[in-house]
Amino acid sequence: MMPHPPFFCFITDETLCPVSLAEHALKGGAGMIQLRHKQASGSQLFLWAVTIRKLCRQYRALCIINDRVDIAMASQADGVHLGQQDMPIEAARKLLGQDRIIGVSASSIKEAMQAEKDGANYIGFGHIFPTSSKEKEYAPLGPETLRQAAAHISLPIVAIGGISHENAASLIASGASAVAVISAVSRATDPTLAAHNLLCAIQKSHS
Amino acid sequence: MHSNRTKTAPLPRIYLVSSGVESAENGKLLLNQLTRLPRSLSCMVQIREKKLSAKELLTLALKAREIELHENTLLLMNERLDLALAASLDGVHLPENACSVKVLRPLAPKLIYGCSAHSLSAMRIAEEAGADYLLFGPVFDTPSKRVYGAPQGIEKLEAICQATSLPVFALGGITPKNAPLCMAKGAYGIAALSLFQDSFRFADTIEELYFNMNPSCP
Repeated sequence: MMPHPPFFCFITDETLCPVSLAEHALKGGAGMIQLRHKQASGSQLFLWAVTIRKLCRQYRALCIINDRVDIAMASQADGVHLGQQDMPIEAARKLLGQDRIIGVSASSIKEAMQAEKDGANYIGFGHIFPTSSKEKEYAPLGPETLRQAAAHISLPIVAIGGISHENAASLIASGASAVAVISAVSRATDPTLAAHNLLCAIQKSHS
Repeated sequence: MHSNRTKTAPLPRIYLVSSGVESAENGKLLLNQLTRLPRSLSCMVQIREKKLSAKELLTLALKAREIELHENTLLLMNERLDLALAASLDGVHLPENACSVKVLRPLAPKLIYGCSAHSLSAMRIAEEAGADYLLFGPVFDTPSKRVYGAPQGIEKLEAICQATSLPVFALGGITPKNAPLCMAKGAYGIAALSLFQDSFRFADTIEELYFNMNPSCP
């Protein structure tokens, strides 16, 4: 179900068109797209979800919807990504069944272990490095905490936060199955190339 | 009507929309309102708390579901079908810019799907999509009008009601005094937020509404 590691996940940028960005990321080799847009209306989100899901099938990547389990169900996406303030994993699992993917954000080893216990399929772990994409209330976790998390849980870990093609390889080496990025792709002058460079960086580290 | 629930019992005619001011820890106002609902009367209740996270909304909805209510009272969640299902609520209320009933109903055919429709064109779209009822407003001036825009007036309510066979709830500045006027213009029922926020007068307000709207209605 999950893409073969190492892969990278592109999370859509709140302020830019998610569909065209997703397509750039997929062309560059993204294994997973997460549609995340807190301000969009339900109808807009649904339309984006359907379009991105189709693109993902075309590129054999996964389409994951942030927070909105209803939109994931309606658009037949591959799964959802839940934050700590979103629907609890058990409730989402009942609605989605065993075949869909549920990813959960964790910012500590404790949260990651709890999510594993509750039946998540992967852990979004971070933020690892300082990031400008989201306002954060706590300090970056750093690669060492990622290494410890990887030792404590057996689920795939998707490292997130301040990741670029320059530091991505070290995180795969620290035990992450994947890295997730927003601005490294969305803010690049050539998003497809940026996505491709990211993929090359993590694959090099793996070989 | 598509929903199983509506086939067996007509929709209640009074529609309570939650205040929108609940904070994370309590949900006190809504739970208080539900506890004070006269058991002999049925009511539509929409949980609409934009400030709460999905997790907090689910907690509130589960608490609301535990309260013993009239068998025809319907608990609805604003927009989020996933939360409605997770808390075993009776339906979903969809704002005009929400995902369409057409898309959502196949996921949960037995639920009730209502739609906000603040214009004739929105009414047509909701009708075609298969809505079970419509919410139209704001009819009168209201403290919560910021959310819904300027008052549309009683004539526009009448035009909407005449143009559709769906039950229409009139929303915005509704009082026990003007509720009968809405009914006379073709509304199926009335909906309100602010009217119901005085918890001491809550039960009296509901009873007064029922009496004024139709002394013999359920």
